[in-house]
Amino acid sequence: MTATMLGGPATQARPAPPEPTRSIVGLVSKALLLGLTVAIAIWAAFPLIENEQWTGLAVLAATTAALLYLYLTPRHIPLKYLAPGTILLILFQVFPVLYTASTAFTNFGDGHRGSKDEAVVAIQTASVTQVPGSQQYAMTVATTGDPGTGPLVFLVTDPVTRQVSAGDADGLKALDDVTVNAAGRVTAAAGYTVLNAGQASLRSAEITALAVPTPGGAIRSSGLSRAYEGRAGRAYDESCDCVRDTTTGQTWTADENIGAFVGANGERLAQGWKVTVGFSNFTRVLTDSAVAGPFVRTLIWNFGFAIASTGGTFVLGLLLAMALHSPRVRGRTAYRVLLVLPYAMPSFAMLLVWRDMFNTDFGLINNLFGTDVDWFGGSASARLAVILVQLWLGYPYMFLVATGALQAIPRELSEASRIDGASAWGGFRRITLPLLMVALTPLLISSFAFNFNNFNAIYLTTEGAPFPADNPANGATDLLITYTYRIAFGGGGAQYGYAAAISIFIFLIVAVVSAISFRRTRHLEEVHA
Amino acid sequence: MRWIQQVGWRHLVGVLVLAFAMVPIVFVFSAALNPLGTLSSSELVPTGASFGNFSRLFADTGFGGWFLNSIVIASVSSAASVFISALAAYAFSRRRFRGRRVGLLSVLLIQMFPQFLAIVAIFLIFSTVTDLWPAIGFNTSSGLILLYLGGALGVNTWLMKGFFDTLPRELDESATVDGASHAQVFFRILLPLVAPILAVTALLAFIGTINEFLIANVFLTDAGSKTLPVGLYGLVAGERNANFGMFCAGTLLTAIPTVLVFQLLQRYITDGLTAGAVKG
Amino acid sequence: MKEDDMRKVAAVLLLTFALAGCGGNDDSPGTQTSKEPKAGGELVIWADDKRSAALKPFADKFGAENGVTVKVQAISKDQQTTFVTASQQGSGPDVMVGAHDWIGNLVQNGAIDPVQLPADQTASFNPNALKAVTFNGQTYGVPYAMENLALIRNTDLAPTAPATIEELVEAAKTPEKLCLQVGQNGDAYHLYPLYSSAGGYLFGTTATGDYDPKDLGVGKPESVQAFRKIATLGEKGSKALKRSITPENSIATFTSKKCAFLVSGPWAITDVKKANIKYDISPVPGFQGGQPARPFLGVQTFYVASKGKNKALAQEFVTNYVTTPELAVALYEAEPRPPALTAAFDQVKTKDTDLEKFVQAGKDGLPLPAVPEMAAIWDPFGKAEAAVVGGADPAQTITAAGKTISSAIK
Repeated sequence: MTATMLGGPATQARPAPPEPTRSIVGLVSKALLLGLTVAIAIWAAFPLIENEQWTGLAVLAATTAALLYLYLTPRHIPLKYLAPGTILLILFQVFPVLYTASTAFTNFGDGHRGSKDEAVVAIQTASVTQVPGSQQYAMTVATTGDPGTGPLVFLVTDPVTRQVSAGDADGLKALDDVTVNAAGRVTAAAGYTVLNAGQASLRSAEITALAVPTPGGAIRSSGLSRAYEGRAGRAYDESCDCVRDTTTGQTWTADENIGAFVGANGERLAQGWKVTVGFSNFTRVLTDSAVAGPFVRTLIWNFGFAIASTGGTFVLGLLLAMALHSPRVRGRTAYRVLLVLPYAMPSFAMLLVWRDMFNTDFGLINNLFGTDVDWFGGSASARLAVILVQLWLGYPYMFLVATGALQAIPRELSEASRIDGASAWGGFRRITLPLLMVALTPLLISSFAFNFNNFNAIYLTTEGAPFPADNPANGATDLLITYTYRIAFGGGGAQYGYAAAISIFIFLIVAVVSAISFRRTRHLEEVHA
Repeated sequence: MRWIQQVGWRHLVGVLVLAFAMVPIVFVFSAALNPLGTLSSSELVPTGASFGNFSRLFADTGFGGWFLNSIVIASVSSAASVFISALAAYAFSRRRFRGRRVGLLSVLLIQMFPQFLAIVAIFLIFSTVTDLWPAIGFNTSSGLILLYLGGALGVNTWLMKGFFDTLPRELDESATVDGASHAQVFFRILLPLVAPILAVTALLAFIGTINEFLIANVFLTDAGSKTLPVGLYGLVAGERNANFGMFCAGTLLTAIPTVLVFQLLQRYITDGLTAGAVKG
Repeated sequence: MKEDDMRKVAAVLLLTFALAGCGGNDDSPGTQTSKEPKAGGELVIWADDKRSAALKPFADKFGAENGVTVKVQAISKDQQTTFVTASQQGSGPDVMVGAHDWIGNLVQNGAIDPVQLPADQTASFNPNALKAVTFNGQTYGVPYAMENLALIRNTDLAPTAPATIEELVEAAKTPEKLCLQVGQNGDAYHLYPLYSSAGGYLFGTTATGDYDPKDLGVGKPESVQAFRKIATLGEKGSKALKRSITPENSIATFTSKKCAFLVSGPWAITDVKKANIKYDISPVPGFQGGQPARPFLGVQTFYVASKGKNKALAQEFVTNYVTTPELAVALYEAEPRPPALTAAFDQVKTKDTDLEKFVQAGKDGLPLPAVPEMAAIWDPFGKAEAAVVGGADPAQTITAAGKTISSAIK
């Protein structure tokens, strides 16, 4: 039992061993955690084996083995601390982002969501219509074998002749020895086991798939108690890779470049599929006049908004934290609780409340101040309004963080400066602020990055308003992200691929800005070194 | 005069910001008391006072259940995320390894991707998860907690790393010389020193989770599994403004657990546990 | 060192097996119950919050009668997108409840299946409702309720129903002349009756009576004319239309007696009654000498999800259970919209005279276009409305909106 129990480097083991009791605690908790990891892995493995997901199983086994190795070897210390968060990060953040980014190279969106096979199925299903002049049958689902597994049969009753027939994939054959209820449904038939609704519902997929061939088409189920004679108006023909209309003979040929069946006259079938389109989404971002035109203006405002929101909340939060950072202020606890309230309220609800408070005729703000400002009607006032709302929502965050930071600064330091005869302001500027910045600069960068993409702040308040009369696509308070959302989801359905491409451009901008400011923080890290 | 200079201005700042902070909240409060329950009023003083909206909230909706779900999800995920963040922050602040700064920047940037696009991928992941492991699939608190923990290495890590940076290195160096392992340095020396920031991060994570709407809305569809924001949004969605009174009442009640957590953590945030410790 | 490592590993392995043993015992029943075949299948229904609450007792009854489990789940926001995305990934419901104008988008995504209704069932529906759920010649879902805008007036403040919008402006003596929601970014749905009365249209129709996305009416001279007329009602004109009247406050402003006229639908009636206002319902008036004001007809519909896990049961529920008058009446009681089933409508119209009036108000109505291209209209059209109401030049504004829409449709 030495200090190396906890996986520390062997070289550190030599000096006097620390109290053994604590090491045992360390060892036991470590063993427990690793045991738990293995237990979870085993628990997770069973369904994978059951479903024959061998790749998944291999990944699981490899991850578990790697974790066991990592925590049993004295090496790779940083990784020991990073592994838990990193694994979760990869699963639930990195993967979604990579997946989304990969859609930027496809036409993924409404009308192009699934595979070609799915599109063909959708086209054929949508084209099945009831054979003209035919009637609907009362139907009972039955089987010749076990209710759970036996081959399925439709017992259908002709509404006119009341003749009962049994239908399966081979066709219809008349039955005589049957009992029929008032509604015409078969309740018992010799040689068949009738399935009740519960039993039938367990075999739903088979029932939907069963088509009993008839001269005019096929009898298909419509629920569990009726059947109809239907015919597919369109069918996929593999030989020509096209969809053919069974009555008119018209064809629509598959176009793998756009992921749709296209007719001779250029008409497309609505149900398309997802195809890779290379860089066309990216070139579209650069050439689309709706995107490129107001881009610079939006970008400038976007920076303004992010800087003002971050800076404003920081200044207000810090000021407040400084003001209350004194044992001589009475009622500090009450102040703090009340001041944090804006952050405690659900932000989406409060954004909606603020929007209504800015209403020209009925809003609280014009009412309180006796003004008549059309807040969201003018560019400047709308921009001021959204920043004000962000200030309200965001200052408690900065207040809390700054309070925490102030507590961490040794009081002796600021007191020492006071004794040295420095003014309060001078002491703050020379001693407190630099120390605060060490802790808070990374936070300011991340806050900036968050606000740069603060979708809700705009979407739940102005929705981008005011819009110039001649351009309903880009408003004065639009951020790049809300603007993207409108372009990608506003017209002609959701265009995920295009949205992903625009997002990548925005992402690059944020990344560059953040990386540059991040480089400048290097010296801050070594403040104590 | 001296009092004004040293204490008075503090109260002035406090009161001014308090006014700014409280106006919308008072507005919501009066709407919650208004039996007609509209959000369009331009009055700060309620036109009628009754607690009907509050009692209806509990009688007619699953509010109690939403409340409980939210508290469980927010408590567990904020506690776990603070722990995971602290581990990572220690590595980023105290250890020097290849890819450290790139890693630090990456955990921030990865969160910059718009969430409304990530929804598709979340469906993709959790459709499989639900099939294989229903216990952590859609409509389970555990699944949602896991999903939230994906963001544990993020802004909070940065925040904590910044604070680890402010602690003098001599502290852990001398402990190491005394024979402490890195785990002992982390758990026994550094963690107690950063208690204020642990408390702040816990609070921030708690608030972030309890107010999260976008993902919870698609993740939780079963009436019994919903959280406060999802349930509350359902009150006003598609309903035009009929339920705004109840909505406001619910919004106010949502703030209560946060305030309680804040009260609980306030001790750590403000007592300045570090003041003595850093001396050496 | 070595010994320690060995002991460590041994301890870990021992614990692992112990835990895995307990864990296995604990978990295997859990996994089994979810996989083990139950007595009947499971049906999952998605609706918005209000409707899922109303549906719950009937879904339970259906489940009990048929020996199946029925789950009703509420989606609070973005129902349509969530449904399509979830369906595509295999996590969607078997039955979806939503507005009929989703059909075009749901069909192009292969998210819903047509339903085959026998002749006697199709005859039992209001023909307008049935027409609304018909798309490319197929019936996509079973309608259960209809809705359209009407003019609701406070009879204490305005005893007679105005025949034209000019009469209405004349008759309004309240602080606000008309509560017709515009909002900061406009509201195409609520504006449409006036727009159509002034001669504007959104899409032309083909020979078969379907909407023709190739004939876009926004930006055409008719629409410019229409917006000129609408501008006369705006903030620089008679102030009947104002951007400060929003979806959130229009009904509340009416119920607080600040305006005598409200343009809204059946959903507003609950609030109006609660505020004890004497009211009457009449068609939305059009412009003097103009065409009749045509509100949009919306139809609430039950859809069968094509990627549902239990389609046969879903078909059974939608075609044989939703079509019963009892369910339609119950859904009416949850929210007073005219039922689409004639039998159910007749049953409730005697005790609720408003229903007949709403149907009358929708007499000239047009089914909300279900073509996917409609998605491109709402936003630019609404913004053009807001701009014109605020005093912008109608010709320039609506031409720009037309350009934006046509480039989105292509």
